[in-house]
Amino acid sequence: MYDNNPVNAMEHPPCRVACPILTDVREYVQLIAERTFKEAYASIRKLNPLPRVCGRICTHPCETACKRGQVDEPIAIAALKRFASDGPWKGRYEADVPDKSTGHKVAVVGSGPAGLAAAHDLAILGHRITIFEALPVLGGMLRMGVPAYRLPKDVVDEEIQAILDLGVEVKTGVRIGEEINFTDLSEQGYKAVFVAIGAHKDQKLGIAGENEFEGVVSAVSFLRAVNQGQNPKTGKKVAVIGGGNTAVDSARCLLRMGAETVHIVYRRSGDEMPAAKEEIEEAVHEGVQIAYLTSPLEILGQNGKVSALKLMKNELGEPDASGRRSPKPVPGSEFTLDVDMVIAAIGQAPDSSFVADKLELTERKKRIIVKGPYTLVTTQPGVFAGGDAVTGPATVVEAISAGKRAAISIDLYLRGEPLPTIEPAEEVKREKLSPALVEKTRNFARCGKISLPAEDRLKGFDEVDAVLSEDLATKEALRCLHCFLGARIDKEKCISCLTCVRVCPLGIPTTNKMGEITIDPFACQACGMCVLECPVWAIDISLNFRSKIALEIEQVISRSQQAEPMIVGFFDLHGNFRSTDVKSLRQDYPNILPVMVFGLRRIDTCDILKAFESGADGVVLAGCPPDTDPFPETADRVKRRIAHARTLLDALGIDGARLEVCDMPEKGIVDKELIDGLIQRIKEPVQASSE
Amino acid sequence: MKSGSNLERLLESGQFAVTAEAGPPKGSSPKVVQRKGELLKLCCDALNVTDNQTAIVRMSSLSGCVLLKEMGMEPVLQMVVRDRNRLALQSDILGAAALGIRNVLCLSGDHQKFGNHPTAKGVYDIDSIQFIQMVKTMRDEHKFLNGEEISGDVPFFIGAAANPFADPFEFRVTRLAKKANAGADFIQTQGIFDMPKFIEWMKMVRDRGLDEKTHILAGLIPIKSVGMARYMRNNVSGLSVPKEIVDRMADAKEPKEEGVKICLETIEQLKEVDGIHGIHIMAVAWEDIVSRIVEEAGLMPRPVV
Amino acid sequence: MITLEQKNFEEIEKMTKGYNRLLVLGCETCAAMSFAGGQRQVAELASAIRVARKTSGEQGEVLEEAIARQCEPEFVDLIKDDVAGCDAVLSLACGAGVQLLAERFPDKVILPGCNTLFLGVTEELGVWSERCAGCGNCILDKTAGLCPIARCAKQLLNGPCGGSMNGKCEISKDVDCVWQLIIDRLDRLNRLEMLEEIFPVKDWSPAGHGGPRKMIREDLKL
Ligand SMILES: Cc1cc2nc3c(=O)[nH]c(=O)nc-3n(C[C@H](O)[C@H](O)[C@H](O)COP(=O)(O)OP(=O)(O)OC[C@H]3O[C@@H](n4cnc5c(N)ncnc54)[C@H](O)[C@@H]3O)c2cc1C
Ligand code: SF4
Ligand code: SF4
Ligand code: SF4
Ligand code: SF4
Repeated sequence: MYDNNPVNAMEHPPCRVACPILTDVREYVQLIAERTFKEAYASIRKLNPLPRVCGRICTHPCETACKRGQVDEPIAIAALKRFASDGPWKGRYEADVPDKSTGHKVAVVGSGPAGLAAAHDLAILGHRITIFEALPVLGGMLRMGVPAYRLPKDVVDEEIQAILDLGVEVKTGVRIGEEINFTDLSEQGYKAVFVAIGAHKDQKLGIAGENEFEGVVSAVSFLRAVNQGQNPKTGKKVAVIGGGNTAVDSARCLLRMGAETVHIVYRRSGDEMPAAKEEIEEAVHEGVQIAYLTSPLEILGQNGKVSALKLMKNELGEPDASGRRSPKPVPGSEFTLDVDMVIAAIGQAPDSSFVADKLELTERKKRIIVKGPYTLVTTQPGVFAGGDAVTGPATVVEAISAGKRAAISIDLYLRGEPLPTIEPAEEVKREKLSPALVEKTRNFARCGKISLPAEDRLKGFDEVDAVLSEDLATKEALRCLHCFLGARIDKEKCISCLTCVRVCPLGIPTTNKMGEITIDPFACQACGMCVLECPVWAIDISLNFRSKIALEIEQVISRSQQAEPMIVGFFDLHGNFRSTDVKSLRQDYPNILPVMVFGLRRIDTCDILKAFESGADGVVLAGCPPDTDPFPETADRVKRRIAHARTLLDALGIDGARLEVCDMPEKGIVDKELIDGLIQRIKEPVQASSE
Repeated sequence: MKSGSNLERLLESGQFAVTAEAGPPKGSSPKVVQRKGELLKLCCDALNVTDNQTAIVRMSSLSGCVLLKEMGMEPVLQMVVRDRNRLALQSDILGAAALGIRNVLCLSGDHQKFGNHPTAKGVYDIDSIQFIQMVKTMRDEHKFLNGEEISGDVPFFIGAAANPFADPFEFRVTRLAKKANAGADFIQTQGIFDMPKFIEWMKMVRDRGLDEKTHILAGLIPIKSVGMARYMRNNVSGLSVPKEIVDRMADAKEPKEEGVKICLETIEQLKEVDGIHGIHIMAVAWEDIVSRIVEEAGLMPRPVV
Repeated sequence: MITLEQKNFEEIEKMTKGYNRLLVLGCETCAAMSFAGGQRQVAELASAIRVARKTSGEQGEVLEEAIARQCEPEFVDLIKDDVAGCDAVLSLACGAGVQLLAERFPDKVILPGCNTLFLGVTEELGVWSERCAGCGNCILDKTAGLCPIARCAKQLLNGPCGGSMNGKCEISKDVDCVWQLIIDRLDRLNRLEMLEEIFPVKDWSPAGHGGPRKMIREDLKL
């Protein structure tokens, strides 16, 4: 089950630590690299009930934190999530819902990502859930806020349906506080309530003319109308005031709905703008203009309609409480912009009036106050709250996180168990990678996006970005640097021989005067060189560890259909091949038993001998083409290692030619000619003697 | 007189000496030595008998010396420290003295790796300089290396080798000084082809007054063919054969004649170098050329002292 | 450290033939550092023997074990039982380790799986070279810290001989002439005058020529 304890940043990869739901990014990225996409999807889905949503619109703090970002560019984690979750294998994820319900009824108010996540996790825990949703459709801002060109509605619908399929009941069009009183919920038998009502009330601009003229619209209501297909009336020249996602999405919607010019007016500079950088870039690409360091002063009108916006330039002053530098007006910089529509997108607050007498709210923005950021308990026993309603406008993944935390708390509460006190993880200031290490790390370009051309985009609300192809996705996944999956030293075994210090292509292991070796688990990239060369096997590694490879050799051999001649094949996952190539290899050569590894660096003479010992007639090692090898400098050593193994085989009476090493072809997994040659070589002596 | 040998007398009297080399056979026949003795008898003052040269097993040099002595020639007993420890060296010195051998050349010896028993264990108990010192002590103080008294005389004219062409060049004179200080009465150098280098070395030798302390005999190797010239240039460590010599041999219509010519030119040049007290001709497997060279160099007949 | 190398497989195969239960015993100090007898090399060799036996149809079990040092009785005694249960021990230690095993297990066949080479240094990963011959009477103070006994092909104490060329020894262009190195270093240290003196003959008795060596520390011994 989901564990909401913060993870230790000294033991977990930064991508995971940065994720509010602690997604095991590294695991699913690795599973994609291994071409096991179904497993990758399962890995994501077990923590995240909305993977296809997150694969598209998550603000991906994981990418910001990703170690690769210090080298070239971060792994495209969100795009990989979308790849893993959009594929034909999706939906095969099956959650374990207990047969017997606990009998406890839980009310979830609001069907945004927070409410949905809570409902999902609580259903899996066996509770009976009812979602109350004021609007006629489910999804909260996913449906009413985020436009379809970023998040197609059928994607939202499908993900929600999967949650409802767990046995979650829904009541749409029921606004708590109106149709049903908040206090009535307990009378209706709901033992616990999760308030996840989001933040949907746009804030006023607070400038002259705001309430006087036709054509001044709140962003939330505008987007809601757009998302409901109501075709709201749109101006020709529009100003959108604000700098968040709501502002940017409003602007991009306006362009799609016929606006000729759209200006975003933002009071600080681009660096401070809260909307996602990619979104801003897309918007500009589509034609949105952005007036930075500009504040509205007054809305001017003619004949009762908006005609212009009076603006003023700012400069940045001292950092304010949020750490951002606050704008200061530049005297005499006033100017006007001709507009016929103004959209206010300067932040939203929850519509929490219906719980005002029950729950404690913040003074100004009326957000619901929770007593612990992990337990989400409110001042009222049995009532929990989370998502935008607590934090103010935030992100989908934070809302999901809140839903999941609430589920844990509610479950404990229902079972009469005390809620844990959880301290937020200490913020770890991790040292930057050394310039030497960055220098030594091979660069691989991040996968590009496949997007609709700008002119086609504006014709409608078709999704702008396409899902990654399998080729691109695997390539991208193979860029992962395997943080914290690397070498670990057993100090009791280590004899300070310094081999690891000498052999590491990145210079990670270091020694002190007494021969105590240290390997920085964050810096290590799990290449595996030291693991093999350590003469006393004092080092193990988490990625393709020694015993795992040995076990796999045993397993492939024991599973084999006694096909002749039996060949164990070690295949480097860094090759340019697809999951289907692996399948057809199995079909074409049932006698080749594949063991997939991250680099032939990991294959020891012992492994090769082990294969022969277990009955293999031959061994083939297929390395990736040199241009895809993250550690090309180790290739020569690997070749020499294999030459050593070959000499040994010759000496012990097995023809060394039964050990074949080769580079994979530019595309695909093996060169058939080479394999046929090896098979021939193995068969030949047998034929010769039988003649 | 330290030893009373002919060579000693000649050199001490200030005459220009001529010595040559005679390698014993890879067999037991005395004839080979005797034939070489015949060939060289009249043209040189003393004849070196090599000691398992280039680490190839041959008849012992002491036996060779005895055979020559029986023919009335004066031998120089070559001894290397590669094959004998301090016990064997001293006992052979005593034996040689008893057999009337009066000249000894103390050497390190080529490494056994080059020879025909490359898997042998080298002895190298003491080195050539210590060897010189040891023989000197035996002769002058009648003492063994351990300080014990020796009964009887050990009259030897002690020789050593010097290679001006090996590295490091600057140290080569220091090494000569060490040998002279250890007790070397005469020096036979490596074969000379690189005259400028040799002249430079001799200047350093004279600057330190070493030519007064010991008699320097300049080494000569007559070249028979261009192949031999090339081989020595490329493969013999411690030899310096300039490219011009190889070219001259290659261009020559009659290589043997050219070889003799080169040798004679070298002798002429050597006569001009101060501090050279003689020459030492190492005509490996070409002993019959020596008398012609000595003749044409105007060094015949050999004086009798 | 003491450097050693595994014997070639043919030799090992021949000497271990017929010993049904064979214990391959590693030594995790010098032997491991020489990549001849650590756990990894034990596993590799044991596996190789198993494959070879399988191919030739020979029966028997090949067991693997390793101890910190085979040259210490306490460590050796820890594997008493393993040794008791096998027909022969193939020791991947230096000659000293092999012999201590033979001493501690008088009734067991003990076989050497390695050739013991020399006392040396690691020049770089996979490259070791000799530095000391254990002569029992160190003279490095007189030779600029470079040993002519271990590193001169003729152990000359008054070197170099006439075969030194371009800094290399006459025996091979790959071998440095240590006397050249000594002279270079003395030059750098401004002590070239040390070369003028004749180095006296050496007393080889502490080097092992006085019979097997033994060291006893009265203050330490039990
Ligand atoms: C235009 C826009 C673009 C965005 N883009 C992104 C993005 O790219 N990436 C990202 O991570 N985040 C984005 N967000 C933010 C994200 O959508 C929200 O943070 C998230 O949806 C909050 O989830 P929630 O469950 O707390 O609330 P909501 O999604 O707002 O859901 C709350 C639900 O509660 C219902 N409700 C309210 N009151 C009642 C009541 N009294 N009774 C019953 N039901 C009630 C509402 O109708 C609503 O359906 C965007 C938001 C907007 C508006
Ligand atoms: S390199 Fe891989 S494991 Fe490391 S932070 Fe990036 S995605 Fe995560
Ligand atoms: S290679 Fe192994 S034994 Fe050697 S220092 Fe590293 S961890 Fe220690
Ligand atoms: S696994 Fe590779 S990167 Fe990590 S310490 Fe070992 S050799 Fe270095
Ligand atoms: S002089 Fe002796 S002890 Fe010193 S380094 Fe040389 S061999 Fe070793």
